[in-house]
Amino acid sequence: VYERTAIIERVRRVSPTLQRLDIALDTLHKGIRPGQLFLARTTESLDPYLREPWTPIQADGRNITVERSNLNTYMPGQLVSLVGPVGKPIALREASRTLLLIAHESTPASLLYLAMTALSKNIAVAMVLLGAAQSYPIDVLPQEIEIIRGEGTTWGHQDKTLEWADQIVAVAPPPFDHDFYLALLMTIRKVRIEVVTGYAIGLFQPPMPCGLGACGACYIKQKGGELLACLEGPAFDLSAIEMAGK
Amino acid sequence: MIEIASGKQSLHIANPVIGAAGIFGFAGEYGSLIDLAKLGAIVTNPVTYQPRRSAAGTRVVPLDSGVLIHTGLPNPGVHKLYREQAMRWKNSPTLIIVHIIGATPEEIANCAEVLEGREGVAAIELGLNDEIVPREVRATISGVKAKTQLPVLVRLPLYFAAHLATAAEDGGADALVIASPPRGTARDPISGQLIGGRIYGPWLKPLALRAVGQVARRTQLPVIGAGGIHNPADARDFIEAGAVAVQIDSIAWVRPEMVEIIARNLGGSEVTRVAGALPDEWRPGQGETAALRAQLLASPRTLLPPDNLPK
Repeated sequence: VYERTAIIERVRRVSPTLQRLDIALDTLHKGIRPGQLFLARTTESLDPYLREPWTPIQADGRNITVERSNLNTYMPGQLVSLVGPVGKPIALREASRTLLLIAHESTPASLLYLAMTALSKNIAVAMVLLGAAQSYPIDVLPQEIEIIRGEGTTWGHQDKTLEWADQIVAVAPPPFDHDFYLALLMTIRKVRIEVVTGYAIGLFQPPMPCGLGACGACYIKQKGGELLACLEGPAFDLSAIEMAGK
Repeated sequence: MIEIASGKQSLHIANPVIGAAGIFGFAGEYGSLIDLAKLGAIVTNPVTYQPRRSAAGTRVVPLDSGVLIHTGLPNPGVHKLYREQAMRWKNSPTLIIVHIIGATPEEIANCAEVLEGREGVAAIELGLNDEIVPREVRATISGVKAKTQLPVLVRLPLYFAAHLATAAEDGGADALVIASPPRGTARDPISGQLIGGRIYGPWLKPLALRAVGQVARRTQLPVIGAGGIHNPADARDFIEAGAVAVQIDSIAWVRPEMVEIIARNLGGSEVTRVAGALPDEWRPGQGETAALRAQLLASPRTLLPPDNLPK
């Protein structure tokens, strides 16, 4: 983890609600992988106080792209302080040929870098948009991603979709995360004989004040202990997470 | 060197800037972002005798120019923590002060006993609960002092610091840290619930600064100022108010590099001339640094060796 000043090189409004920022990092940047994020600060002001989590939707060498709401104002040439990469990358399963991504009540942006990586490895990608995620402008997504819409925690042909997937990665923001991940895991267990390690992954996104494992604010309860989302996450195997009612 | 604890076992630090408890982890977590050797010491996250798990539910609530944190003070317990951190503490580029807390004076004293004589542990900082009364302050500190020869710094609650300082001195404290972040309550915008926890932000500084001034006038103990420090000028205000050193907290989350800037500034190793000057262009006593050292010299709580005197 390092702190670097980066430059916003381009601001593209990709939909009425979203903009994408192309950001150039310095030569010491070691690269960021799917699942990892930066803690960003764009202002000298102390309000907002804590850094914002910025998960790239794309990264190529020293350049990254992040997606932000149009409610925020960014300018080309603007400097950004980035702390990161925070967390561990998401590992695509060996020999995986199909990947199911699920966004529940959340933008799927934090899944896009993983989707692009999977597509580059000829892995078929489908994305389920549930609840508020349905308002995401799907025309900004790569054509190769099959989009499925659903209500609540279910979608059409759910069992078949889950049987199709070699790996599932889901994102749901607090406070929906535990309830949704629990419901998803229960559904998966009905469909699959065995839920192996690394098959069903959930992104946990608690606030991370430090991003270094120092402040102890982002612990996620696991079977037999606790792990820091900023060090061991934010992606965790759902079968290892301690959830009420599991 | 600056004397920040003045008991039987005194404690000297090379830089008056210390990393506060609850911010910098248990040892070198910030080592990749900050040159920890620039700090006078680091105070660890709070440690208890028995292991503690993290708090359930919301732990972080954003505030206007600040934040409320309620971690539950997770830690593996003092025995396991020492086993895990012994080598890192021993090899730490800066002094390690272990912050201990507990539900009872006995638990706190037992915690201190475990740390007694351990290599790499320079001192103990005692965290007192916010509702403590003077009698309990004396009992807790004397209980700890009976179990350890280590210097004992006592961090007092902000709103009662002046009231409790004399009791802490009577109990045998070697230094006072003024003050712990106060507790507050705020509504979590995500869950909609009211959450209690410690609050951090620049607006704490005037409160802490006043408390430092009050305590410094009432006791002969070295006072370490803490609360709302976000730049070198903030830190210098605490020195002017009577502190011999300062503790830096949540600015490390906001702008990690500022921790080092403050340390370099107060430690006299910051080049204070126009930007672009190189470190070897600095000499002791140059620019603002000289004024700071003169200020430190004027304070009866500060000891500086003759070779560090401004020229």
